[in-house]
Amino acid sequence: MSLALNRWRFYVTPERVLSVCFIVLLAYLVVVPLFMMIQETFIVHPLERFQIPGSKVNDFTLAHWYRFFISESAYTFFYRPLVNTLIISFGLSFLALLIGGALAWLVVRTDMPLKETISNWAVVPYILPSWTLALAWISLFKNDRIGGEKGIVSALTGFEPPDWFAYGLFPITITLALHYFPFAFLLIGGALRNIDAQLEESASLVGAGRLAIIRRITIPLIVPSIMAAFLLSFARGLGTFGTPAFLGGPVREFVLSTSLYGNLIGQRPGLGYLAALVMIVIGMLVLYMDHRMVGARKSFVTVAGKGARLGLIELGRWRWALAGFILFFLFSVIVVPLVALAIDTVMMIPGVYSWENLTLHYWIGEASYSIGLGTGEAGILKNPQILSALKNTFSLAFVVAVVTCLMGILVGYAIVKRRGTLISKCLDQISFLPYLIPSIALGATLLAMFAVPRGPIPSLHGSFLLLVIVCSISALPYAVKAGISAMRQVGGELEEAALMAGAGWWTRMRKIIVPIQKSTYFAGMLLPFISVTRELSLVILLVTPTTQLATTISLLFTDRGWYPYTNGIVFILTVVVVGCTVLSRRVMGTSLAKGLGG
Amino acid sequence: MPDIVLDKVSKSFTKQTHAVEDLSLVIPDGSFTTLLGPSGCGKTTTLRMIAGLEQPTSGEIIIGDSVVFSGKTGAFVAPAKRDLGLVFQSYALWPHFTVAENITFGLEINSVGKKEINKRLDEIASALRLDSLLERYTSELSGGQQQRVAIARVLIMEPSVLLLDEPLSNLDATLRMEMRAELKRLHRETGATIIYVTHDQLEALTMSSHIALLESGELQQFSAPLEIYERPANRFAADFVGSPRINFIDATLDQDSLSWGDVTIPLPKSAKENVGPRVSLGLRAEELGLSRTCGPGMVEGRVLTVLPTGADWFYQVRVADEVLTIRHNGETPFDYEDIVYVEIRSKSLKIFDDAGKAVQ
Ligand SMILES: Nc1ncnc2c1ncn2[C@@H]1O[C@H](COP(=O)(O)OP(=O)(O)O)[C@@H](O)[C@H]1O
Ligand SMILES: [Mg+2]
Repeated sequence: MSLALNRWRFYVTPERVLSVCFIVLLAYLVVVPLFMMIQETFIVHPLERFQIPGSKVNDFTLAHWYRFFISESAYTFFYRPLVNTLIISFGLSFLALLIGGALAWLVVRTDMPLKETISNWAVVPYILPSWTLALAWISLFKNDRIGGEKGIVSALTGFEPPDWFAYGLFPITITLALHYFPFAFLLIGGALRNIDAQLEESASLVGAGRLAIIRRITIPLIVPSIMAAFLLSFARGLGTFGTPAFLGGPVREFVLSTSLYGNLIGQRPGLGYLAALVMIVIGMLVLYMDHRMVGARKSFVTVAGKGARLGLIELGRWRWALAGFILFFLFSVIVVPLVALAIDTVMMIPGVYSWENLTLHYWIGEASYSIGLGTGEAGILKNPQILSALKNTFSLAFVVAVVTCLMGILVGYAIVKRRGTLISKCLDQISFLPYLIPSIALGATLLAMFAVPRGPIPSLHGSFLLLVIVCSISALPYAVKAGISAMRQVGGELEEAALMAGAGWWTRMRKIIVPIQKSTYFAGMLLPFISVTRELSLVILLVTPTTQLATTISLLFTDRGWYPYTNGIVFILTVVVVGCTVLSRRVMGTSLAKGLGG
Repeated sequence: MPDIVLDKVSKSFTKQTHAVEDLSLVIPDGSFTTLLGPSGCGKTTTLRMIAGLEQPTSGEIIIGDSVVFSGKTGAFVAPAKRDLGLVFQSYALWPHFTVAENITFGLEINSVGKKEINKRLDEIASALRLDSLLERYTSELSGGQQQRVAIARVLIMEPSVLLLDEPLSNLDATLRMEMRAELKRLHRETGATIIYVTHDQLEALTMSSHIALLESGELQQFSAPLEIYERPANRFAADFVGSPRINFIDATLDQDSLSWGDVTIPLPKSAKENVGPRVSLGLRAEELGLSRTCGPGMVEGRVLTVLPTGADWFYQVRVADEVLTIRHNGETPFDYEDIVYVEIRSKSLKIFDDAGKAVQ
């Protein structure tokens, strides 16, 4: 009896229990919803009864698949958005690689001045809500297609930007590339920094010229990071909703994410879920290609060798000009948009840029149907709806930051402790899965899962909990990555020393593991906090009037053409996230680059 | 083929400190010259300056007939044009190439024909026993194999000078012994000049034809290994070379004799006038004798530690205030606390003045 008990004790270690619990939990929250969603594409939903003659709710049907892929309307539902999506995703990823890669190379490998400043500023576009630039683009280049108001450019110069420039694929690709290039900057910069200079020196010793070295040695060495950056921007771009909604809507150009949204709220859930499925499949395909191209054998992300310092390439008299140009570029994609947004919040009548038109009405005015746009809404800082949305946003961001941080610690711990076992690999894979699922599609899977009661679990639709779940899952891959690397750094021996001293598991966690890794965790919390604060795509399908967030409510205002409100809210969010980043850098010395995992 | 001449070469990375200072050396053609010194003394920097990867702050470097660097005229010959090969301490193999690609990259860059490349690859691969590894990636090799690839990559270019930066420091002890022999064989077979960097004095003694001993960026001594061992130019050289470490004892120098406690040793020639009277005498472990009975010129001591190494017995013996390490091969070993008598048996005395310079 006691022998059996002892054996039982030996097997039931905290890390085993943790692993199993997390696998079950994550399977339930990630894998099962995926299948639920696939199932949803085969059944008749309440509102689809009338579109599919003679069907009853919950009947099996192939009608959605037929309509989406084969019927005459397939072009509008699927093929057109698919092509648009691919154009935009590839376009933005290439552009982002180009901008981020060039910046990284200049900062790491040349003697360009003001590197510190440039590095700090270069990550800001990613911190801002992704659709800030889209809104700013509208503020700047709006033409008379939407409403009678003019954009700043057209008001100042009289030049009316053509439709293709003001709306549609072109500005979507550009603004998204400008939002996502920091990925490439951070990943490629990290890789360049890690290259052992001797690898290039040995090539120059045998007579390879500068170009041959770059082509044959440097670039192949950073290919894994280039691919990672490409994959990341591609997947994020695929699942993004705000920008294509704002810039594509006015010219009725849809992408998969906006088509998904339109179908789901337009009472064609079967089609919506199919769009989500296609997005997930594309995401996986891109990852598979990445695997095929980089290959496991050649993956050398950590280049061995103690790495001599790299000689900096001298730019000569171009150095200041280049630095100036880059600062000007960053200024144009960070400060100019924010100023444009801010200006639009203090213009009583949109599009009229004069001193008499200046007002704080949209910030602190009382509700009125006759002043300005006549919205009947109080100013942002007095509007109960907006204030409650802001409160929701920050509570959600805080809760998610704490939850993902805890999950990161525990999952990272479980994976590292059981390293090499099947269970650890399982856990590793499953926590990586959300990384591949485009945000809005992830929202769709959870909607499919929790919109109705299933078994003992009540419907979570419209609950704060559901928002916490979706945001935590989406942040999980980063948190787990941070957790794993933190655990690796500490190493098992420190904990084992405590074990030998007789400390129980809880004590070891509390006194040894967590305190040592404090700053890593803090960096790990910063990223989810920022992402949630400015998240739109992930939650757009899951919010209801009671759980409205700042981002989703600003979408609501945009739909009604009330840009001053939208812009004001975005402005507040921006100030908060930038403030948080700067503060955490000052106080804790953590940087966003750390949270992204290099 | 070329001698390599370094003339007053200095290198500083920061304003205040010198990594290498006023280094002048003539490295003879075909020699196996070792740059020896403790970590951080400037060995790698020197090697990199010879290779052309680092530019000296001042001075002149000449390889054969050509001035490859001159601080005065500003002459600089690119690394690839110097006809030398460098094996880095960390090997610096290209991780994205296979072994074969690593080895042939240089030939390929220099547009050597495919046939010729394959021929040379076969030769070098079989000479360095790499035949079966050619298709592997370098991350799939052991340390010793990686090192052979690094050497093959350099040798295939048939350089007349081979620069090796601590090539054995990443290997385990047995492999290191093997590779020492292999490198010596390589030197004989290729006839190339080898400049070899190490911090391991034993390695330097066993392998080199010449040793340049460096400390803090300055040359301490440049001579044949045994010369350094037997006639160190200064206290540092005596101390750094030789194992176990040399014993230093304080002594007094008179006109024609040296005294240490009660012992007086007559000196063959009279010492230089401006030296002394206080000097230190360097005595290697094998230059001291031990016996149980007292005789003329012996001093009494007590055994502190017994250190058998298999072939030899080493003893630490306290004599007056000093602890001496002594080698002894008598039939009956001494034990702790034994009273013993120590005798000086040197053929030539190593005497150092206050500044640490060798006297005579
Ligand atoms: N690239 C560099 N920048 C600044 N200091 C350097 C650099 N390379 C070497 N040093 C300094 O020069 C000195 C000599 O270094 P090194 O030649 O590498 O020594 P060794 O190879 O003998 O160990 C050291 O003090 C080292 O810190
Ligand atoms: Mg060195």
